[in-house]
Amino acid sequence: MTGRSPQGPFPPTEEMLARPVPTALQVAQEEELHAAWRTRTGLRYLMSTNNTVIGKWYAATCLVFMLFSGVLALLMRIQLAFPGMNFLDADRFNQFFTMHGTGMMFLFAVPLFEAMAILLLPAFLGARDMPFPRLSAFGYWSFLIGGVFVLGSVLFDAAPSSGWFMYPPLATEAEGAGSDIWLLGLSFIEVASIAAAVELIVGVLKCRPPGMRVNMMPLYAWYVLVVGGMILFAFPPLIAGDLLFELERALDWPFFDPARGGEPLFWQHLFWIFGHPEVYIVFLPSIAIAAMIVPTVAQRPIVGYSWIVLSAVGTGFLSFGLWVHHMFTTGLPLISLGFFSAASEAVVIPTGIQIFVFLATLALGRVRMSLPMLWIAGALAIFTAGGLTGVMLAIAPFDWQVHDTYFIVAHLHYTLFGGMILPVMAGVYYFHPFFAKRMLSERLGKWAFWLIFGGFNLCFLPMHLTGLLGMPRRVFTYPGDIGWNTLNLISTIGAFTIAAGFAIFLWDLVRPGKPHLTNRNPWNAGTLEWTDQVRHRDWGVRSIPYVTSRYPLWDQPKLVARMDAGRYYLPDAPERLRETMVTSVIDARPTQVQRVTGDSWIPLLAAIFTGGCFILPIFHLYAPAAMSGVMAVGCILYWLWTATAQVPKAEMRKAGLGLKLPLYASGPEAVGWWAMWITMLADSTAFASLVFGFFFYWTARADFIPGDATHADAGLVALCAAGILLSWGLTYGARHLNRSAHATAARSALIAAPTLALGAGTALVLSVLELSPTSHVYPAIICALVIWTGAHIALGILMQFYCLAGTIFGKIDPNHDTDLWNVTLYWHFLLMTVAVTAAVIGLAPRLL
Amino acid sequence: MLRKAISPRFLRSPACLLLVLPLAACDGRQSVLNAAGQDSRQLLYLFIVMLAGAVVLWLGLNGLFLYVTRLRPQALKIHNVNWFLFGAGVLFPSVVIGALLAWGLSIMPAQRAAGDGLRIAVHAEEWWWRVEYWPKGATTPIVSANEIRFPAGSRSELHLSADTYIHSLWIPALGGKMDMIPGRTTVLTLHPDLEGFYRGQCAELCGASHALMAFQAVVMAPDDFARWLKDQAASAPPPTSPAATRGEALFRDEGCGACHTVRGTEFVGAVGPDLTHFASRGTLGAGNWQPTAENLMAWIAHADDLKPDVAMPAYDWLDPDQLADLAAYLKGLT
Amino acid sequence: MAQRSLPPTDREDEDELRDESLSLWRIAFSPIIWAAHFLLCYAGAAIWCARVGPTQGTAFLRLSVLALTLIALGLIGWVGWRALQQWRPEASTADRLHHPENRHHFLGHAAVLLSLISVVGVIYVALPALFIGTCQ
Repeated sequence: MTGRSPQGPFPPTEEMLARPVPTALQVAQEEELHAAWRTRTGLRYLMSTNNTVIGKWYAATCLVFMLFSGVLALLMRIQLAFPGMNFLDADRFNQFFTMHGTGMMFLFAVPLFEAMAILLLPAFLGARDMPFPRLSAFGYWSFLIGGVFVLGSVLFDAAPSSGWFMYPPLATEAEGAGSDIWLLGLSFIEVASIAAAVELIVGVLKCRPPGMRVNMMPLYAWYVLVVGGMILFAFPPLIAGDLLFELERALDWPFFDPARGGEPLFWQHLFWIFGHPEVYIVFLPSIAIAAMIVPTVAQRPIVGYSWIVLSAVGTGFLSFGLWVHHMFTTGLPLISLGFFSAASEAVVIPTGIQIFVFLATLALGRVRMSLPMLWIAGALAIFTAGGLTGVMLAIAPFDWQVHDTYFIVAHLHYTLFGGMILPVMAGVYYFHPFFAKRMLSERLGKWAFWLIFGGFNLCFLPMHLTGLLGMPRRVFTYPGDIGWNTLNLISTIGAFTIAAGFAIFLWDLVRPGKPHLTNRNPWNAGTLEWTDQVRHRDWGVRSIPYVTSRYPLWDQPKLVARMDAGRYYLPDAPERLRETMVTSVIDARPTQVQRVTGDSWIPLLAAIFTGGCFILPIFHLYAPAAMSGVMAVGCILYWLWTATAQVPKAEMRKAGLGLKLPLYASGPEAVGWWAMWITMLADSTAFASLVFGFFFYWTARADFIPGDATHADAGLVALCAAGILLSWGLTYGARHLNRSAHATAARSALIAAPTLALGAGTALVLSVLELSPTSHVYPAIICALVIWTGAHIALGILMQFYCLAGTIFGKIDPNHDTDLWNVTLYWHFLLMTVAVTAAVIGLAPRLL
Repeated sequence: MLRKAISPRFLRSPACLLLVLPLAACDGRQSVLNAAGQDSRQLLYLFIVMLAGAVVLWLGLNGLFLYVTRLRPQALKIHNVNWFLFGAGVLFPSVVIGALLAWGLSIMPAQRAAGDGLRIAVHAEEWWWRVEYWPKGATTPIVSANEIRFPAGSRSELHLSADTYIHSLWIPALGGKMDMIPGRTTVLTLHPDLEGFYRGQCAELCGASHALMAFQAVVMAPDDFARWLKDQAASAPPPTSPAATRGEALFRDEGCGACHTVRGTEFVGAVGPDLTHFASRGTLGAGNWQPTAENLMAWIAHADDLKPDVAMPAYDWLDPDQLADLAAYLKGLT
Repeated sequence: MAQRSLPPTDREDEDELRDESLSLWRIAFSPIIWAAHFLLCYAGAAIWCARVGPTQGTAFLRLSVLALTLIALGLIGWVGWRALQQWRPEASTADRLHHPENRHHFLGHAAVLLSLISVVGVIYVALPALFIGTCQ
């Protein structure tokens, strides 16, 4: 093994920290940092990858999508203001509510979490940037392209109209491109969300400042960790569902068609396994913002830090046991409903604990009421009401009455306004001086608050009653003699009041002439983001501090001056390269200086081609789509080859305070290895959802597996498994051979391995050629598993060739083998995938 | 439009006074608050108790928040935060919610108790309801559409299925809803006990005319119900007026019988609703309009205007006299 | 090697790093037990009611839920007890909240609290088997 280990003293002593930095050196260092981090201007601004730039783009795009979706809601409220209105016809109304839900959930609520985390998390952690800045940029561009495409379909009267939940058979049978736009456009965005989750998890685990142990992280980081984990397990089932759905739409494979053994309810399971955790994925980061604001308002540390951690982790787990409460009326056995009713009630407890922690913190502190706190107070009033109706709805028999009525519309808006919109608004007012360096108006803020808060209750409080009086959701009109007229008119007035509040907020946001910040920490907060200088510098923190407290600005009085002077770590950029610090997972001991990728056109290009690959098939342009896909792969390979895991000129770098840190890491030390591990966890979840499908059909349908069915050829399946096992062994062997400097042997292994894998993949495809997937769901699910596994084998082969090229062109040598480690890790998961697929398609049909 | 069917009992009930009267919205034909059966009453009681608890908890929590942020003179002292959080955040909610959960679970079996004999098969179409009555021991059903009648005082079983899309059958005044899913049969049982006219509606998004998929539910005294069912089993009465006779001929010539059945005639179509006793039903177009002659004429001439994407073609070439004859024929199908 | 070049300076570092990595996972043990209990109950009931319930009744199913619940509670109790030893609650009063508990105690504390929630969750999830005796 190489001599790449940290050298020098850690932690730093007070004498070391007290030593002044010469002014000339400070100036020189600032120039270096500026050269490395400066944001480009003109058209090249679009090449930016810096988290502060991407974060702002991301958040602004979310805001625009939110306004668009909100306008759709206003138009719907006009249609519903009076009975029998003809403002919107039925089809357009259906498109509007579908896009309102889709836009708000997929294009606003979830991406806004990613946007705020990308913007704020590095500052919370005193880091220069996220660990994979180009991935952030790629995620942003994917989101923008997909979002514009999906929402834009409304303008062409081509939007999906089967609800944001897209239940088959309505959505699978729907004519036109609407359902495909929804599926492919959103799959594209979901992939970007998973990318963001991977990056945020790695950011929290590996990019904390030295000394910030796991129990000293800002609470926001805990929430990011939990929510990132939830995304990894919640989004993949929907991606698997999307794959099956699109196979049914495009190739008529009958996954959801009961006439050919399919099951419409299977989609509902997959959708809500995603859909309910998703509610908490939206809610927790917003509560995390509150958890940053409340201590500042109380001017004291949070009371019950461990309780918040418990609450976040507990909510994250329990939220996966709730999905069937969206399916209480589908006629499942009562005992099954009971389990989900119980879990739905249990999740109330950790959710409530957070509120009590905030209450206790405020009670023990000296509260300074401010505009952000006003929004938090409004959020509490609204969220507790929504939570209490949630307790009612989790009681299954009560849900049988009000399910799919306006009572639910009221409930979900109470939870989402109280649990997401209002805390986020608090966050915007609180963090605006941080990211815009100007204060928002107190007076306009109060107007906006009272209009939104009052308008909200005017709009949605009556809806509880509308629902109890029997009005179902998603109706484009209603008769005038059932007693719903007054209530609906009040709701419409309320909706426009909310809109007026948002108009004031927007004006405040964009109006010129807001006063510049004079004090970098206007709220007197205790966390690291407020060390950001009054004039924002592109490098983020001037030097990465050594932290000994949860609230370093309160407890480490000399911290800010020392950071500004460049007394702490990484105060310079001698090679004019962007760098951030990597620390250990638990105790945040410095382990490495990570060279992060800089500005480039490649994320934008990769996103455009990936978008083409997802979007062109909707118009049946399969050849251009395939070409676009190839170009996307090419872009990503170029990006990886030229910008990641570069062999540094020198192995070690002086990191400040006498510490020398390595510039290269491989295996579990490297952030890329963690990213691969986390990505494969998500990937395996999607695969598990497909396997779940097989057993779901077996449980739910008496005609699964049909008696006369043709099975996959067992011999060929076994051959495939054996080939992959050998290929995996060779890949694993190549890693060892390379490390022990047997370059030729390693290269030979890396030639043999993909050859074997290619043979194995061919055997797998041949094993199912006799099957007719349009005839019944059994051959269809077998073929879906083969598609999934085959695509993964192809990717594995590509990776093996990438490593082969790496060993030949000097990117990989005995001392620098991080690519080989990451590829081997991928192959561990691939081996498992192939083994399970082989067992399910080769063995299970013969045993069940 | 439809006959007013306000339950007098509901008007006197505290739930209405508390919740509804201030907003003068006390029709209640389709209201959860207007409970007219065992199941809905049990759920209304559950709701009122939960609502009272929720109001108390909401006031308590928000009152506490107001107190600690605005009203108190100085910082409070909580000696052991862990005990406070344990008591308020874990112990209290666990007990309260656990009790509520137990109550909710305990009433579930009763809500799905087996029926007392009458089985009603309801098959959802786009966007209307095919209804078959199977009294105890019946070997063939008595077919109707877009109206469901129940005998008061006994539990009826509804066997629900669907044609193409998922729908959901819901009569708020009688009890909870149940989805109707292609490829399965789901079972809902209801025990109505107050006679009257109620309204039901599809609760699951099912396409363009989801909003217009309703029906009338009628709860009758058991004897009345038995008599009514016997009448429904009979063939359609022959036309009695010249207009109705002309209407029958038009019905034949325009091919209406290809889609609609009128038992006792040559019309045996099975695509649209059975019209054998059409005139005995309270509504037109699946719970949406009063079956007056004018509404019938408008419906026949322009069904697709009234109900988007409906399968029935618009007979807009018929002149008003012809439409009136058709309406007369249909109004005679008592 | 990395450890040797960075000599430990405070008492916390005497705790073996491997132990701490384990206890980061340990805070998730109790919720994982809850999740396993939940999934087994749900999958068991779904398969039982789809395949054998209509003919054979639910006695076996309900007894299985009871047994699973006892096992889950036992396991969570054991995890919680271990975590309680690690936490030493007398060290964390409100006055001391300015200073974070040390990382060792913190992970114990979080694990105790998660065990508490998991116990409530497991008991709730067992309740349906008490009240519902059919596969309807």
